[in-house]
Amino acid sequence: MMSHKFTCDDKQTLISYLYGEIDHETRQMVEAHLSACEACAAEVTALGDVRADIGLWVPPDVELDFTIVKKSQLPAATVLRPARWWNTVPAWGQAAAAILVLAAGAAIANVQVTSGPEGFSVSTGWMTPRAAPALSEPVDGQAVDRRIERALVSLEQQLRTEIRSTREEQKRVATPPADDATIRRVQQLIADSEQRHERALAMRFVEFTRDMNMQRRADLMNIGRGMVSYDEQLQRQRQTINSLIRVSATPQQ
Amino acid sequence: MVATDEELVARSMDGDVDSFNQLVLRWERPIYALAYRVIGRDEDARDVAQETFLRAFRALPGFKGQAKFSSWLYRIALNLCRDWIRRKKRTPLVEMPEGVDVAELASEQGPVESIEDLVARQEMSRIVAEGMKLLPDEQRTAIVLKEYHGLTFQEIADLQGCPLSTVKTRLYQGLTVLRRHLESRGMTSYESDKG
Repeated sequence: MMSHKFTCDDKQTLISYLYGEIDHETRQMVEAHLSACEACAAEVTALGDVRADIGLWVPPDVELDFTIVKKSQLPAATVLRPARWWNTVPAWGQAAAAILVLAAGAAIANVQVTSGPEGFSVSTGWMTPRAAPALSEPVDGQAVDRRIERALVSLEQQLRTEIRSTREEQKRVATPPADDATIRRVQQLIADSEQRHERALAMRFVEFTRDMNMQRRADLMNIGRGMVSYDEQLQRQRQTINSLIRVSATPQQ
Repeated sequence: MVATDEELVARSMDGDVDSFNQLVLRWERPIYALAYRVIGRDEDARDVAQETFLRAFRALPGFKGQAKFSSWLYRIALNLCRDWIRRKKRTPLVEMPEGVDVAELASEQGPVESIEDLVARQEMSRIVAEGMKLLPDEQRTAIVLKEYHGLTFQEIADLQGCPLSTVKTRLYQGLTVLRRHLESRGMTSYESDKG
């Protein structure tokens, strides 16, 4: 309840009057002032007009259809990853394949393994060839084959050892000790990602529905226009037929 | 018989998701309209409205019913709008819906409103939206809550966390800025013109 007299600068009471949140006594006091003060009366009218105009601002008529769905009602999400083909091959197979690749590479590269008093030596086709032995020297073909075989066996063993050590090292790097904090962090990241995807999916669905509706309205308008055009054509054809009938019905002179 | 908000809230708190979805259906448009008028972007307003209901659903066990459910929703939505404005660090932009067929709208309005009236109304709506953009956040929010959602001065004061007198001042100042803007655009009241 207001006990003081209403004055021109009492804008708070003016607003209360404008919105009708005012007690009876104060209302009468404001109305008495307005009947005597043209400036305040004009202001109240102008602000009332502004209020009427504000009411014309409407948000776009969009389809919302938000729905809360409990996670337990959703099918459990399963993440499928494409299997890497080499993970399905057993270790011995991989080792054999590696040797085959090396052997093929060696064949292409023209590997030459020789042994002599200075020990083993391996040379490839890309290296400068050693001087060819003198034709007069006797060449024992079987002995050379055996040496090559021994060298290959040695090479294979060396490669196996290296592959084994490399894999063990990879295993150590690939499986660091996971503590609870890390697991929780990963779970949180997965949950956040799922949530983002759910929201994105929901937004896409809303957009899709809106686009569908817009397309439907455009199609209906096109159909309407087509129908009007068809009606006009039909009307013209009818007029033509009527003219022809009139012409044919006119007696020839 | 239509269940009240309080009844639906009670059922929702007992784990009935369908009841909560009835509340969503009942309040999604007012919340979207509030967000749209405060931040002025359709897509972002949808995001804010959606997030409002998600947060409300999650926070439902903590809702003790001191305030009306709608006031509680308004509070969540306004907080999200405030965060949005702060995050984007820009004044709200008001976008007008594009591709609106005037003739089609006229047919939806019925035979009483002529095309000329409709065009004038749309123009006025655009200018009002423009004027709203000029207002500081607090004044715009106060006007939106009062004019479009019919909240009392006290409810707005509670939502904005300010004294009753501040709400009235914000309303007066906001309306005065809008009045000047409309006058500067040569606009007199649409309703007066019609009359």
